[in-house]
Amino acid sequence: MTPRHESWSWLDASEVIEASELSRVCGLSADEVEELVGYGALRPLSSTGPSRFSAACVAPLRQACKLRQDFDFDLFTVALLVDYLNRIDELERELRSLHAHLPHPLRAQRDGPPPWHEPHGRG
Amino acid sequence: MKYKDYYAALGVPRDADQDAIKKAYRKLARKHHPDVSESPDGEARFKEAAEAYATLKDPEKRAAYDELGRRPAGQEFSPPPGWQGASAAGTGFDDIDLADLLASLGRGRARHSAQHAQPGRDVEASARISLEDAHRGATLHLEVADADGPRTLAITIPPGVSEGQRLRLRGHGGPGRHGGPPGDIYLHIALAPHPVFRPDRHDLYFDLALAPWEAALGAEIETPTLDGPVSLTVPPGTRSGRKLRLRGRGLANGRGGHGDLYAVIHIDVPATLTAQERQLFEQLAQASAFNPRAVATPEGTA
Repeated sequence: MTPRHESWSWLDASEVIEASELSRVCGLSADEVEELVGYGALRPLSSTGPSRFSAACVAPLRQACKLRQDFDFDLFTVALLVDYLNRIDELERELRSLHAHLPHPLRAQRDGPPPWHEPHGRG
Repeated sequence: MKYKDYYAALGVPRDADQDAIKKAYRKLARKHHPDVSESPDGEARFKEAAEAYATLKDPEKRAAYDELGRRPAGQEFSPPPGWQGASAAGTGFDDIDLADLLASLGRGRARHSAQHAQPGRDVEASARISLEDAHRGATLHLEVADADGPRTLAITIPPGVSEGQRLRLRGHGGPGRHGGPPGDIYLHIALAPHPVFRPDRHDLYFDLALAPWEAALGAEIETPTLDGPVSLTVPPGTRSGRKLRLRGRGLANGRGGHGDLYAVIHIDVPATLTAQERQLFEQLAQASAFNPRAVATPEGTA
């Protein structure tokens, strides 16, 4: 069966994830999620009520937890990894953005689409 | 059951302390981790080291393993009578993997060996799709491998994904065991380079070449969009590098809206001139007082 569109969760700032669900998908205990909040690696959306987070934190946290498992890191290292993974993600996004904005002929120095010409243009 | 020499796998003596075991494992993991290793057997070497470390880092599992004695790697054997891991094996040792048996020790006897509910494995996948598919949505066929073997999964990508977008599809990963829930699918979207457009989130950019007279006098130019050509008004006095915006002509954002489309202007000249063109340009050069080096100002965005 082909899953319907509505089944997808968008792992970005447009969606919210509960602390319990974040624990489940990242293989962490509730205490470990709390500890990561204490380290500043996770920022709850509000300071009161049950902890809820932006769904954008899921992918970097899962990646950091996978590295934790693979290299036997402690939780503080996971917190550092999350910060650096977020930073890398942001820098890559800025780089893509810069490449998109660069006008011809500056872009000619890298691979990418050539300037657009009308199919029926004169040359 | 086949014997595995975990100490040899990590390259440590059998009396190595925990620090030495951790250091040896991390060294091997760093070398063979699938994210960094280019060796064809890197992943297998990593798994071998990880399996060894999973047992040797845990005092209880290590003690159980040490009880098995030392044998040649790969030798068929049965644990000695009364071995502490025997209760997890059930009826016999013939078709059991040593790693599974030792892992079941760590899950705790309160859970009655390996019969507790286990969630299915998550599926991590990347999909490289065209801008058109990102704009309109598409059905993909993912090849995934789980405990039941390889399978093809048809999934529908919603319209509005952008470069680097991550999505989760709950409950469509590997099947759970003993009543556990199925895993999830995690999908990482990459956009294939497009012959015309460059995306920045949901905005699109493309280079629009203008003749000097089009830039100076203004023009109506038919320009491409993902939904078909539209007419773009180039205002008189348009400079190179200026960005002309077509509002709402970018990528769908999945929430009913669209990004914008930007034409990045650059001004081109004929590589060779006809006699008449040369004459007209010479007349213009004589008549015009324009000095681009004298009036250079930062380019604005329309």
